[in-house]
Amino acid sequence: MADSTRPGTPAQSGPAWASWLGITAVVLGLLLAAAQATELVKQAVMVHAAPAAPAAAGAAAACPADELAEEGLSMGECLQLVSNVQNFTVSAPEWFPSWQMALSAAGTMLALLSVIAGVALLDFRAWGPRAAAASFAALTALDAGGFVAVLNTGPILRDLYLWPLLSWFVIHLMMTAAAVAAPRMHECRDDTGRSAGRTPA
Amino acid sequence: MSAGYGRSAVVLHGLLALGVFFLFASSWWMLALPLPSETFTFRQFPFQLHKNIGISLVGVLGVLLYVRLRHRPGPLPSTGMRGWMRTLALADHVILYVLILAACVTGYLSSSYSGWGTTLWWILDLPDWGYENESLNVFYSDLHLWSCWSLLAVIAVHLGGALYHAFRNDGVVRRMLHL
Repeated sequence: MADSTRPGTPAQSGPAWASWLGITAVVLGLLLAAAQATELVKQAVMVHAAPAAPAAAGAAAACPADELAEEGLSMGECLQLVSNVQNFTVSAPEWFPSWQMALSAAGTMLALLSVIAGVALLDFRAWGPRAAAASFAALTALDAGGFVAVLNTGPILRDLYLWPLLSWFVIHLMMTAAAVAAPRMHECRDDTGRSAGRTPA
Repeated sequence: MSAGYGRSAVVLHGLLALGVFFLFASSWWMLALPLPSETFTFRQFPFQLHKNIGISLVGVLGVLLYVRLRHRPGPLPSTGMRGWMRTLALADHVILYVLILAACVTGYLSSSYSGWGTTLWWILDLPDWGYENESLNVFYSDLHLWSCWSLLAVIAVHLGGALYHAFRNDGVVRRMLHL
């Protein structure tokens, strides 16, 4: 991949796989960064806004009629909103919020790095594939770390977190494999010199 | 051969995308928090953050539009794009910008009429543009909701177009996504 290729240059200036993997990394990276940042805020709010007195934690929700109309909530739903919070506060081990905050902070940064790596791939930069492989692999490891952590909590948090974590883990694993394998496609040739793979060069 | 967008436009485009995605993801979660009361204050921080990011995005959008109009990129590469595709792309961009602005403004107006104040990044108390009025709050809240759902649909078209061009490797996406 020539480093001299610049935006707007003809389509033939770089391999299609770099463009495909690049746009995938950019779109998924932005979505993941938003999701991880939301998780960071969520954990911080759960820790800092939780009522200090244990009795208050079980207090009934305030559900005035005008607020219910404004939010389009039934009384039952409004009362249930407190349970959403209690799902976290009751089932999270003491170590979980700080661990989750650290993971989501790292996840936000890594997701943004993967966006930059994706743009580098789209821009056919020579360092793009290496940066992409490194950032995708780091995200895969982070997903694995999050999965193991949630595995050691209770069934409520497992229900909330495990499937999304597993999905992201598989996505990042696939992207890592693609970033490692795609630049080596030219090595996959038979004795006659023809490309043995069906993927575009 | 055509020149792409400037680096500042690229960065602003990324910031705008990240901000919009964050606002969607965080709003779905924060609206499932208990309604505010003396005991439950879970909504306080996320709502202020939501409003602050929304207000800031108006600024980002303004600067992006200024940069894009001031420094126009070269014509699109001849990629075999049909006429209706070019029209769709132009319409999609215009509607996208209008809806981002509408979503932010209606959100702020709804908040203004709700009686809950807004402190810009916890530093500057913004003036309330309206008095506390439940029906106006609901009216702007509905507008906010529908402009956001419409925005999501238009973003899907925008993303679809970006993916189409990137998978064709025709150089169109590289005009905006480059280093």
